[in-house]
Amino acid sequence: MTFKHFIKTITFIEILKGMALTLRRMFSKAVTIQYPDERRKIAPGFRGQHALSKRGGKAKCVGCGLCATICPSQCISITREKGQVTKYQIELLRCIYCGFCVEACPYGAISLTENYEYSSYNKQDLMMTKEKLLSNWDKYMPGTKGEEYYKKFWRPMSEDFGTPPGQAMYGGKR
Amino acid sequence: MNMANVISPTTVDALIKFGIDVAIILLKIVIVLAVGLLHVAYATYFERKVIGHMQVRLGPMRVGPHGLLQPFADGIKLFFKEDIIPAQADKVVFYIAPIIFMAAAMVNLSVIPFDANFVIADINVGLLFIFAMAGVGVYGIFISGWASNSKYAFMGGLRSSAQVISYEIAMGLSLVGVMMMAGSLNLSDIIRAQGESIFGMYAIPQFIGFIVFVIAAVAETNRTPFDLPEAESELVAGYFTEYSSFRFALFFLGEYIAMILMASLCTICFLGGWTLPWYVLKIFPFLSYVPGVVWFVLKVYAFFFFYYWIRATVPRYRYDQFMAIGWKILIPVAIGNILLTGLVKIILKEVL
Repeated sequence: MTFKHFIKTITFIEILKGMALTLRRMFSKAVTIQYPDERRKIAPGFRGQHALSKRGGKAKCVGCGLCATICPSQCISITREKGQVTKYQIELLRCIYCGFCVEACPYGAISLTENYEYSSYNKQDLMMTKEKLLSNWDKYMPGTKGEEYYKKFWRPMSEDFGTPPGQAMYGGKR
Repeated sequence: MNMANVISPTTVDALIKFGIDVAIILLKIVIVLAVGLLHVAYATYFERKVIGHMQVRLGPMRVGPHGLLQPFADGIKLFFKEDIIPAQADKVVFYIAPIIFMAAAMVNLSVIPFDANFVIADINVGLLFIFAMAGVGVYGIFISGWASNSKYAFMGGLRSSAQVISYEIAMGLSLVGVMMMAGSLNLSDIIRAQGESIFGMYAIPQFIGFIVFVIAAVAETNRTPFDLPEAESELVAGYFTEYSSFRFALFFLGEYIAMILMASLCTICFLGGWTLPWYVLKIFPFLSYVPGVVWFVLKVYAFFFFYYWIRATVPRYRYDQFMAIGWKILIPVAIGNILLTGLVKIILKEVL
């Protein structure tokens, strides 16, 4: 044991340093957010509960099933009859909020809203039907918010990575 | 029939005096218990707040303004919870253990002098009495660990008895210096002797004893960093793992009363109890108008804050390290302190 080490041991210098730190922290502002009274600021592009976007009061969704195909947890199920989407269901309990469905959708029909407060005691409330998803659009993406949100964060891949207009390409019917 | 015909007037006077004495003692007990229990309730609140802020949190905030009613909410919750007793437990011992633990802690409050003339039992062996009752408290812990018939509780009980026994030696030896300087075991006399000494409080001449005492006091009350008997990450909750509801509350109460007691003992033996050092009074003479109990309580609160501060800072010691600190460092240091104190006392006697 060197002399320095001995002095360190008998004066508790390391413990005293630690105590000085905790005392300083005691007078700093707490980081707690008191949830029901105050809420965390939601960052733009937040991936919360889903919504089906509308145009002219009608759902944009055509029921192509790309979102259901890409979904890694397979929580989207779509039924189509006679060119109409009869069932569009998302199981929120299985969803992992990756946002692949939004990126996959060529029509920008599905989006993730900023709502994260939808806990429930029964499973039925967490099964999102087409009606609920459409009303979510009105509720959480009012006015032009949805369109802006969508343009900024959830552009379909084809808009950025699509073929530039001047480029030569397959001449068939598009 | 006139009472005077049956017993003589002097006996009546003596009886009345005795009755008044008993009434005064009962009143003192009620005051000490009520204030003590209220302090326990708010010690938990204070602890959660202090540790919370040290960890950059807020602590309890929701019950009442700034969570001020939280202790009562906790108390009511504990009271109405289901009292579960393990099927294989030794029932009688299981019932008795928390009572022994809490009673042993509470009895000690009776010898603590809170002010110059406010002590329930001003006995001459006050310091020894406190050690003895602290030793009895270990029985409560140990038999609760044994009676629960659970591995965790048993390990906690074993650890606790080993811990309290080893650290009681260090604590007792650290206080011998104080006894030698004060020349008494009576707690009120120790405080008076301190008030008349040059330094005003024994923490300055007896600083080695003071440091040993503070470390041993933390270990004695099973607090972090020496909370091995109830180490959450190893033993669930240690000796009271199987206890719930009100029996758990009794253990909790006993632990906090033991903390109050250790803080009071530190205040009495090292910080000058209800007195202030003469040099402080010389600079601020108006402070002598403040009742002594205020200083006593403030010193106790300061020691409490130290308890919480330590808890928020230092992690738990490993068991062998912990035993090594007790036996290889604290006890030799305390014995050295006794020798040094005696030596200085002899030299001063020769010189003066």
